[in-house]
Amino acid sequence: MSTLDRIKNVAAELLKTDSSRIQESSRFVEDLGADSMQSIELVAAFEEEFDIEMDEDAALGVKTVGDAVGFIDKVLAQG
Amino acid sequence: MNPVSYLALTPEAIKILKANGCWSRSWPKVKVTKGFDPTRIAGTIFRGEVRIGSLDGEFVPRDGIRRYAGIFDANLHNVTIGNNCHISNINGWLSNLIIEDNVLMENVGSIVCQGETSFGNGHAIEVLNEGGGRELKITEMTSAQTAYLSTMYRHDAALIKALDQIAENYAVSVRSDRATIGEGAKLFHCQNIVNVNIGQGAILRGIQNLKEGTIASSHEAPTFVGDGVIAKDFIIQKGAYVSDGALLSATLIGEASKIGKQFSAENSVMFCNSEGFHSEVCSIFGGPYTVTHHRSTLLIAGMFSFFNAGSGTNQSNHMYKLGPLHQGILERGSKTGSSSYLLWPARVGAFSAIMGKHYANFDSSDFPFSYINEDDGQSTLVPGMNFFTVGTMRDGLKWPTRDRRNNSDKLDQLIFEVLSPYTGQKMMRGQALLLDLYAGAEKGQEYVSHQGILIKRLLLKTCSRYYRMALEKYLGDALVARLTANPPKELKALTTPLDGAEDGDSSWLDISGLLCTQPRLNNLLDKIKTGDVTTLHTLQIELQKIHDSYALDEWSWVLQAIPQVYDFESITSDNLKTVLEKWKVSSNKLLNMVEMDASKEFEGNVRTGFGIDGHQDEDFDTVRGKFEANSFKKQLDEMRQAVQSNYDRSLNILKNI
Repeated sequence: MSTLDRIKNVAAELLKTDSSRIQESSRFVEDLGADSMQSIELVAAFEEEFDIEMDEDAALGVKTVGDAVGFIDKVLAQG
Repeated sequence: MNPVSYLALTPEAIKILKANGCWSRSWPKVKVTKGFDPTRIAGTIFRGEVRIGSLDGEFVPRDGIRRYAGIFDANLHNVTIGNNCHISNINGWLSNLIIEDNVLMENVGSIVCQGETSFGNGHAIEVLNEGGGRELKITEMTSAQTAYLSTMYRHDAALIKALDQIAENYAVSVRSDRATIGEGAKLFHCQNIVNVNIGQGAILRGIQNLKEGTIASSHEAPTFVGDGVIAKDFIIQKGAYVSDGALLSATLIGEASKIGKQFSAENSVMFCNSEGFHSEVCSIFGGPYTVTHHRSTLLIAGMFSFFNAGSGTNQSNHMYKLGPLHQGILERGSKTGSSSYLLWPARVGAFSAIMGKHYANFDSSDFPFSYINEDDGQSTLVPGMNFFTVGTMRDGLKWPTRDRRNNSDKLDQLIFEVLSPYTGQKMMRGQALLLDLYAGAEKGQEYVSHQGILIKRLLLKTCSRYYRMALEKYLGDALVARLTANPPKELKALTTPLDGAEDGDSSWLDISGLLCTQPRLNNLLDKIKTGDVTTLHTLQIELQKIHDSYALDEWSWVLQAIPQVYDFESITSDNLKTVLEKWKVSSNKLLNMVEMDASKEFEGNVRTGFGIDGHQDEDFDTVRGKFEANSFKKQLDEMRQAVQSNYDRSLNILKNI
């Protein structure tokens, strides 16, 4: 499964929405309705899903699903 | 007032007084000082022993109307009046009073002292628990720390007995059948005042009813008691402002506190710099900076400090079984959101934000800087998250700058630091607990429970990292401060505890605003119990010493915390460089996260309501300004620069050690 699909699944489960509603351009706050708490939970959920540790402030700066894909792929590439 | 010798009135003086409409059944009981000018008195009835000083000064109060020293239309009974007082339009009686020099009193009902009284000193109030069991004897010298010990250390019977005796001794020392109106006090348009001592420079304007109390005041910290105030069995400490229909019953208002707008308080203490408007408090222990501003807020049976109550904040102290015997503790720096509710008993960790309604009787004291939320009727905790909010940073910056106390003899001993050994040791404990909880949780589990509150399993690791980051920031802050304040020549000088400091592994306590080690406090408790400390004055001196030892003891704590937090075997120069490096990273992360939090005030939905007929962005930008130009944002930028320069400077110092 691609990073995008895994991110969509995680976000859909946490934000209690259908993953088909989530696009690469979807903004977590404005389009998917994530509040500040859910934003932090999303970071934690991505960390668990990908078994990575994300830099807190940089991760919270991620606005869209596409940004998240780029961010996580970069972390994964860094090993 | 200096000792004064008084003379009998001369026949000529009596003649002038009578011609001015004055009356006495026994003129020989009216005595005056040398040079007395009887033309300065008119329409006055003298009863009992009356002593009058010289009447040749004048006042120009704020209204700009000059008043001349004198007594006009007054009824005096057993009163000693100092020099240069202006007393006029006393509708009732001034009875059994010592009125010191330069007092201005105008349009007053009655000010009387009825029998012997201690003026509210020694009055026992049922603080924290309405049902009793924690009675605190309030005095004008009671500090937040003294009250904390009397209220919270009930398990130590010898200590409580000694503290009660100290308070009682103070009450006896001020006991009198004459109330004093202090030098330079001003009283305008007041109704009834019974058994109240009024301190120097106090201003009373339009009070309604005061009974059994003390208004402590000094020229450097004058106290104001104003319109419509009704107070009984009370102490108001120096520099306080109490006005606008405030109702006080069995209550102590601390130094430089502001109370008004029909605020009501019963069986409560609110120590220095507290604020109470509109709302109600009952049996609370309000430590320094307890703030409640909203009409629908009730604080009851709780302990607070550095606290801000959102509108509609409420608690219950009984569960309809054995009555109101429950209590709650909100550790320093906590705040409640609008319409939040807590069912006591509960204990909230320091610097936490409480939102929603909570019936869980939880204890989150191991987790400072937390968000406490309501999620489908359950209480949930997000440990450490409140460390990274604008609110916490702004609070930490504002409290020291908002210390309104002008008196040099401040009672409450305050350590303002947000990051301290007190919060540091809690974060170390919290971090370990979170990792333990994570290790013990199943992957499919949504929540784990700790001390009655739920924590999302997903957040356990994240939140433990928050504590780690905050600890790295704090330990680095302390290191930078130590290095830059007095650059050491060798590592040993840096890594050795300071002279007179406590052991670094001592537990830290928050004694209602005073952070100190357990051994230092125990030492004081021993002195109280063994009779080495027998007065409130000497107790103050001892508390001041503890306050002054904070920096010494803090460094000891930091020295023992660094190896624990970083898993160092010892503190070497290289290890300290690591501490510095981590500090720089964590400090910048904190600033970035706080900035992100602050920027939310300028983005998206917050613009709703702006631009009523269009032009939303223009309206918002005009009213709120651009984020880049915001003063807090600029402050954050300056802090970033300070991090870099302090890092460079500290690294240089370390390199030379």
